[in-house]
Amino acid sequence: MKKTVTIVLCALLAAACASKAPAPSASSGGEGGKKFVVGYSQSNNAEPYRAQLNLQLQHFMKKYPDIELLPIADAKQSSATQVSQVQNFITQKVDALIVSPTEPAPLTAAVQQACDAKIPVIVLDRTVNTDCFSAFIGGDNVLIGKKAGEEAVKLLPNGGNIVELRGIMSNQPQIDRDKGFREAIAANPKIKIIADREGKWLKEQATPIMQQWLAQHPQIDLVYGHNDPMALGAYLAAQAAGKADKIKFVGIDGLAIPDGGIRAVQLGQLSATFIYPTGAQEAADTVNKILHGQPVEKQQVLGTTQVSKDNAADLYKQYDLSGQN
Amino acid sequence: MSTTTSGESRMRRTLSALGAAQAYIGLVLVLAVGIATKGEMFLNETNLTNAIGAFASRGILAVGVTMVILTGGIDLSVGSLLGIASMTAAMMLSKYSLEPWQIVPICMLVGAFFGFLNGAGTAWLRIQSFVMTLAMLSVVRGLDRQVSDNVSVGTQIAGPDGKLTPQAEAFQLFGTPGHNLFDRIYYPVLAFIVVCIVFHLILTKTRFGRHVYAVGGNPTAARLSGVNVTAVTIAVFTLSGMLAGFAGPIDAAYSASADPQAGQSFELDAIAAAVIGGASLAGGKGTIAGTFVGALILTLLDNVLGLNAVSDNWQLVIKGLIVVVAVVLQRPDLFTFFRGGSRS
Amino acid sequence: MTILAMRAIGKSFPGVRALDGVSLTVGEGEVVALLGENGAGKSTLMNILAGVFKDYEGEIEIGGQVAHIHSPKDARRHGIAMIHQELNLVPELSIADNIFLGRERAILDRKGMEARTAELLRGLGLDLSPRRLVKQCKIAERQLIEVAKALSQNVRVLVMDEPTSALADAEVRRLYTVIRDLTGRGVAVIYISHRLEELEEIADRVVVLRDGRYIGEREGVDRDELIQMMVGRPLGELFPRAEGGSRGEELLKVEGLSVPGEQGSGRTALREVSLSVRAGEIVGVAGLMGAGRSELLESIFGVHKAAAGEMSLGGRPYRPKSPKSAIRRGVALVAEDRKAQSLVLGNTIAFNASLPSLGRFLRFGMVDARREHAAVDERVRELRVKAPGIRFTVGNLSGGNQQKVVLAKWLLTTPSLILMDEPTRGIDVGAKAEIHALMSELAASGKGVLVASSELPELLAMCDRILVLCEGRITGEFGRGQASQEAILEAAMARQQVTV
Repeated sequence: MKKTVTIVLCALLAAACASKAPAPSASSGGEGGKKFVVGYSQSNNAEPYRAQLNLQLQHFMKKYPDIELLPIADAKQSSATQVSQVQNFITQKVDALIVSPTEPAPLTAAVQQACDAKIPVIVLDRTVNTDCFSAFIGGDNVLIGKKAGEEAVKLLPNGGNIVELRGIMSNQPQIDRDKGFREAIAANPKIKIIADREGKWLKEQATPIMQQWLAQHPQIDLVYGHNDPMALGAYLAAQAAGKADKIKFVGIDGLAIPDGGIRAVQLGQLSATFIYPTGAQEAADTVNKILHGQPVEKQQVLGTTQVSKDNAADLYKQYDLSGQN
Repeated sequence: MSTTTSGESRMRRTLSALGAAQAYIGLVLVLAVGIATKGEMFLNETNLTNAIGAFASRGILAVGVTMVILTGGIDLSVGSLLGIASMTAAMMLSKYSLEPWQIVPICMLVGAFFGFLNGAGTAWLRIQSFVMTLAMLSVVRGLDRQVSDNVSVGTQIAGPDGKLTPQAEAFQLFGTPGHNLFDRIYYPVLAFIVVCIVFHLILTKTRFGRHVYAVGGNPTAARLSGVNVTAVTIAVFTLSGMLAGFAGPIDAAYSASADPQAGQSFELDAIAAAVIGGASLAGGKGTIAGTFVGALILTLLDNVLGLNAVSDNWQLVIKGLIVVVAVVLQRPDLFTFFRGGSRS
Repeated sequence: MTILAMRAIGKSFPGVRALDGVSLTVGEGEVVALLGENGAGKSTLMNILAGVFKDYEGEIEIGGQVAHIHSPKDARRHGIAMIHQELNLVPELSIADNIFLGRERAILDRKGMEARTAELLRGLGLDLSPRRLVKQCKIAERQLIEVAKALSQNVRVLVMDEPTSALADAEVRRLYTVIRDLTGRGVAVIYISHRLEELEEIADRVVVLRDGRYIGEREGVDRDELIQMMVGRPLGELFPRAEGGSRGEELLKVEGLSVPGEQGSGRTALREVSLSVRAGEIVGVAGLMGAGRSELLESIFGVHKAAAGEMSLGGRPYRPKSPKSAIRRGVALVAEDRKAQSLVLGNTIAFNASLPSLGRFLRFGMVDARREHAAVDERVRELRVKAPGIRFTVGNLSGGNQQKVVLAKWLLTTPSLILMDEPTRGIDVGAKAEIHALMSELAASGKGVLVASSELPELLAMCDRILVLCEGRITGEFGRGQASQEAILEAAMARQQVTV
């Protein structure tokens, strides 16, 4: 019995490994010239936004034939896992390292180690507490929150009641998206946030919260979701109560997937969403420049694009990578 | 003591009846607080349907988990199983345009398959169920993410004419808010109640049900009484998985999409419902009626706290305390316990 | 000189007056036996002495001074040690760890603990390594470990609650030696037992309790009189079996049965056991601890897989894969350990009694509760189970009544062969007599009974034939009238070198 189990497990393991791209060989000779090897440690593959980022990074890296991107390491939301992944990449002597830290503090030392080993590090999306990296690329959540707030002010010219579905309370993006939004809506004192609760970034958490709000508050004019799924979860609740037409829904993320925010804007479910840039293209370009000794900008803060009914179709086409990898 | 006067036995019976009633006292309390603070806003069909509907899939998981707990085991994998069933449902709908009535049995099969593996690992390989199902939680979540590419799959699929396909239209009846059977009955609530009734009957009226209690109460005595302990163990895990599969389409319809993270930590809510309802993690003690009440307490409490705009942090504190209070209230010797002095 | 005096002790539980004005004195070096049916208040009285209860009425004096005993710690300080009927050992710890549990030094002195343990075990004639885990020891061994644990403390008063209920005669003798050794050193012993013949041998004085009251005490042991004091009514014959049963056809035949043992659980291997049981016959199985009595019955019941041998039942080949298939063929096993092996203690009488025979009550796949309860009720009445009703929780019944529920459960399966493993262990005299009567009745109605017991008088009185096991082999067979305690013991100790 034990033997069978062992054999089956080994076979599974082998199959799982084989399904991944070429085995990591630090410097494969290849066609004449030197081939650069790049490692990427992702904080959590399971978030749709990050899955999209992974896809895009793989896509844009292909444009540089002399750069090989090792299989993406998934830290599964664990800082400890991520630290050891980064250290693994250092041991493998990669030529450049991209890190999307789960949290700043625990990853700082690991990034410092890479820096000490003279490996250029590109910090993607979230920061670390050291200056010893080659480039930081990331979006500005305060800015995006502010844009969403400005859109809300525009949508409610005569003022109105807003409910806010927050991400996980301790997450930095949650804090920033809330801050920027509140700054912007202060422009119109007749706009009030009458309720806010933690929806944990999840659609199925947002629906019952919205149902309770609809029972409590006779007048809700706009729902601000810290991400699109929560805004859409609230939309389902409002639709069921027959109030979806009277309420505006604003989200953030704007993923180009069938179930994502851009499509929802196209369908008129969301009034607007704001693309949180993945930075994948910028990261690929920056890596290429560093490896070929060209100067790069150290702080690359990315802008956002507002998705509206007019540009939704085009944006979807632009960002949709399905079938391209 | 064996000398049992009729007075003592009457007292014992009253006490144990009260013990069973204590779960209901909890429910009555939650209802009372809801009515007192929010009145009509709380006590109306829409709000109650919404509240129970939001918990229905977890309630169905709780029924399966109760069966496993009754045999003295635990099933931590139900959240993941619900997740993969939800994903299966959404994919069957979006990729193959299957009819809803075809999707449900497929999802139940998927759930039952992984549940069977849980049972086989527990009964045949003698892995403790906590460990076995913890491993399954991870394996199935991984498979779920793999098949979905970490991207959620929507169920509101539009045809070429821009309208929902007939299958997608019908699928909404599984629980997309605002879609009711015969314009009246909210399927998740109906499904939860029917599952409770069916499994209540299985546990109280069939030989298999007796065997479940026997295996949990004393596995050795059960085996020596001719109970096939291995088969019962495998069966309860399979049924638990099957129910998780059954809940999958409900969860997918509720969010109008299957999220690769759907069902995460639902197992904890399911276990909490069973425990509040009087199930003992030691096995052999518990009822489906209790679990039903436990589920109602959890979801209505959530609703009452939400309607009263209690902050999220305090909600967590209160819900944790409720579990402890409910379990303490379950003690049949509650009154003697506080008078001091244990009995030998 | 009086070392312990308990005066006018009373104790009430909700709805029950468990003890009422009971007094007891014990002198230095004296063995006082406490006698009474289950529920008479013996255990409650002793639990008060051992500090199990916080509050009670009355006064306890030790060495002439009033002692306030309200916790086990108080009791220990006054030199009182108790060996509980329900063994209080931690299965996952070693023997040495168990003996010193709660009294270890902060930094364990393993060597010292193990040396002292080895010494104690030797004193009890127990040949076990101090490092052996308690879970690997048999019940009887555990009982002796409890004795060793009590001895390891500086005792002035030692309470033994049924210390011999799981011991075979040889172990009992060993225990007596130990008790005499203790009393020689001035230790007072309070001894609770149901075995009257033991009291004759060991007790200086017998105190009888009934229904929580002091009934009287005697210096010598007159069995009939003591039984009458205990039950409150004269009791006829202790073992009511008339001379020999009428023998019918051969029911069970076992030939060359070999079952491998198991090191971990201490299961004895069976080696080429052959036997037969006729319809209407009661066959006894005697043997020392670890001789394989339980293993033999369990193997016939399909619990263990046989490595070799043939069995037939009612003339047809019989190869039980599991208890389930054995039950289907009309075999029943009243297992050795009532609480661990026979009953779901937290559930009701009805639940337990109908468990193996539920198939009989099915209607459209559902259990017909009315028919089920009617059938259970009938059996429960027949066996005179003292309980308020069949929905009463089994765990709250006395030992004798629990055993009757086990018997009711097996009678409901209408078996043709009944295997009984220690059917009267830890049961008071009244219930014991009823169970013996039932055995005779079963045999008279043409069923075969195979009974294993460590009480030789019981076997001698009840059985038509007695088989003796030693180290998993049959080393003797005696017909009714040929057997004597001495002959059986001799066969039971006929150890041989294991030939490879």
